[in-house]
Amino acid sequence: MKGLGWGTVLLILAGLAIMPFFVTNYIVTFAIQIFMWIALAQSWNLISGLTGYVSFGHVAFFGTGAYTAAILISKAGWHWFPASLMGSVTAPLLAFIIGYPCLRLKGPYFAIAMLGLNEVLRALVSYFEDFTGGGNGISLPPIAELQPVYYAMGGVALGVVLVTWRILTSRFGLRLISIREDELAAEAMGINTARLKLYAFLLSAAFPGIAGGFFAWYSSHIEPLGTFPFLTTITMIIMCLFGGKGTVLGPVLGASILSIFQELVWARFLFIHQAIFGALIVAVVLLMPKGILGVLQERYHLPRTI
Amino acid sequence: MENPILELCEVTKRFGGVIAVNRCSLSLAPGRIYGLIGPNGSGKTTLFNCITGLEAREEGEIRFKGELIDGLKPHQVARRGIGRTFQVIRIFPELTALENLLVVTWFPFDLALRRARELLELVTLDRLQNEYAGNLSYGQQKLLEFARVLMIDPELVLLDEPAAGVNRTLLNELLQAIRNLRAQGKTIFIVEHDMKVIMDLSEKIFVLNYGEKIAEGLPETIQTDERVMEAYFGR
Repeated sequence: MKGLGWGTVLLILAGLAIMPFFVTNYIVTFAIQIFMWIALAQSWNLISGLTGYVSFGHVAFFGTGAYTAAILISKAGWHWFPASLMGSVTAPLLAFIIGYPCLRLKGPYFAIAMLGLNEVLRALVSYFEDFTGGGNGISLPPIAELQPVYYAMGGVALGVVLVTWRILTSRFGLRLISIREDELAAEAMGINTARLKLYAFLLSAAFPGIAGGFFAWYSSHIEPLGTFPFLTTITMIIMCLFGGKGTVLGPVLGASILSIFQELVWARFLFIHQAIFGALIVAVVLLMPKGILGVLQERYHLPRTI
Repeated sequence: MENPILELCEVTKRFGGVIAVNRCSLSLAPGRIYGLIGPNGSGKTTLFNCITGLEAREEGEIRFKGELIDGLKPHQVARRGIGRTFQVIRIFPELTALENLLVVTWFPFDLALRRARELLELVTLDRLQNEYAGNLSYGQQKLLEFARVLMIDPELVLLDEPAAGVNRTLLNELLQAIRNLRAQGKTIFIVEHDMKVIMDLSEKIFVLNYGEKIAEGLPETIQTDERVMEAYFGR
């Protein structure tokens, strides 16, 4: 059974690897978006799904990565790939600065602090015009081909999924879950919760940082409103909850299913697609608070590490 | 008296205008079982919280093996060798019984796994090791919490009402496990409302009332102490 599971995973990965050679650019573009959402939802899962600290400003790390890459490409002449990878340095650096004090806040206070961070970053980016282009943003050369971005974004998605799997199958992961379950008890049992939360937060910032860099290159243009939208954080949260928070495949399922659903609904119901999407989310939260995978795990006694 | 493992000197803790613990001093010698009793709201759990760093004491000193532990964070206190259970059970419900134990130890994994299984067997939960802790009965959760505190191998174990909600059969096993701990040289400090349990187990008992220590002594002495009678039954 275990071998069958891994075989299926390898088959899907092989299929995804050769897919760009056989499908239209529309499908490749759509796949890039799904990969991006997988990376974002899974990153949010690393801090909020595992430790229970709900981050309402995770798009700040995505935006930080996007601006890092855009500035390095446009002003320093870097190649887009290493410029994007630098997001894995700048975003965790920001996470460290904000996480060190804010992760001591409990419950809604942390969520509000994160929301504030996003707004502050957006204002700063708009203010420092010489450096960031202000409200006009930064334009980058249009990309010649989609395949490199497809593999790069796919790599980020795969990377964060593997990291989550590794964490969930380790005692580090159990300790993060113990924080979610009862932080005070975890502390009293000798677990340094402040340090572990910070580690999880840094990891959860690194991947959106890289994804933001690839997004900037792929979009050819970034500006404050489009790079730090609150809606992006909400979407990654919904995708994670829909698939199953605190799991490995939950955010993958959530991001994939909801992206496809949105694409189908958007094309057919232009004016009410957001309302339909919202109704679906309400239904899921009411009927399946543990998400798709949570329900499957309970019903079929599946391990938590999937 | 040999060097105390735990020493409290004039410890005071207030919540606003309420003095939960008032200039409380006590001393525990290593390798014994001590009881802490008192009417509801007398400050027993608050005192445990001050010792384990969950509440910051306002005045006084707390020493563990001669070292001041005031101001340490709870995890630092635990790493120094003080483990505790809680009055209201605080297990990790979405972890299995086995994981509840594995999560708190820094032993190499194989060693941790062996020790966790031994402890689950000790509290008769070995057959339920893969069950989510949240699905266990109240009594089983109480036993799991007891096993979890042993997993960190503390020198001083604080047990906050370990017998509450545990059925008679399991209770006898729990009491035997506590005596075994003492035989291994551990010091045990128990808050318990079941007077039979506390009188049977304890070698010395401290009594709190309105945050103040009003008596200490052997169980038979405490049972006849007038101040204790008054605290429990009034004049």
